[in-house]
Amino acid sequence: MKAYTDEQLVIDYLRGDEESLEILIKRYLKPIYSFTFRFVGDSQEAEDITQEVFVKTWRNLKKFNKNKSFKTWIFHIAKNTSLDFLKKKKTIPFSDFENEEGENKLIETLVDLAPLPDELFERADITEMLNMAMNQLAPKYRMVLFLRYNDHFTFREIAEILAEPPNTIKSRHQRALIKLKRLLSNLK
Amino acid sequence: MRENFEKLFSHFEAPEPPAGLFEKIILAIKREQELQQTKRLLFGFLFLLVTSFIATPLSWTMLVNQVKSSGIIYFISTAVSDFGTFLAFWKDFGLAIAESLPVAGITVFVLNMILAVFTIRLFLYKKRLLVGYLLHNKLEF
Repeated sequence: MKAYTDEQLVIDYLRGDEESLEILIKRYLKPIYSFTFRFVGDSQEAEDITQEVFVKTWRNLKKFNKNKSFKTWIFHIAKNTSLDFLKKKKTIPFSDFENEEGENKLIETLVDLAPLPDELFERADITEMLNMAMNQLAPKYRMVLFLRYNDHFTFREIAEILAEPPNTIKSRHQRALIKLKRLLSNLK
Repeated sequence: MRENFEKLFSHFEAPEPPAGLFEKIILAIKREQELQQTKRLLFGFLFLLVTSFIATPLSWTMLVNQVKSSGIIYFISTAVSDFGTFLAFWKDFGLAIAESLPVAGITVFVLNMILAVFTIRLFLYKKRLLVGYLLHNKLEF
């Protein structure tokens, strides 16, 4: 079967091909669920938010700019929907997502960013270690790392999704890597 | 370095979406589609209702005024009061009545009546849908 691009599927759906929408939903179901789950940390809530994300996406499909990336667009919707949900719940401090203050940038940039040691990959409990380390990271760092290494977005795309300047994302990414490395070495 | 961390993240277990979520999403979109259609139908119905409410008295007044000024009543009353003469000159009477018909007034009134009947029919056919929508959803103007 021919693999259609997301943008082509959007065009086909808007021309009346209902199946294109189903293909799009199937394609993004797992990444979006996974993304919202990371945001809210609860499977039932992630399910509700995922549903809401796809309904919002469908509702705004006509407004989608076909020259832009659908993937970035849907993740942006997912991020906003998750934030709205958390705002309603008021369970997290929003400075956690928005505020870049209070970091010792100098110390952190001085820390070595060498590749991860090979021995780490040989460990049997690497998945468990990674989960533990990621859970200890602040949500804003966790999100950048997931988007970069799990969902394979570029910095520019992450900046678009999170609606923040690319340089902020780059520095946050660097800090997140340093924190993750520290956490992983502490868990050894 | 990117490959290094991508390799690390390949060990991360992404949560699987619960079974039936896809069907739930499709159902939610269908529900939303129906809701949008009902909303459009409701606005169409309200527009027709308001239009026919405003147009009915206006078109009626227009028709009555045109009938009064046309002289058609005079021809009809003459035909009724002197039926023998009417029968003898029915062709002339018919022509005179036809010529004095207020065509514009009748056309506007008939069109308005068709609109009113269509609005009532629309409501009768879709009353459950429209009333249900009004009861369960707040209208957002």
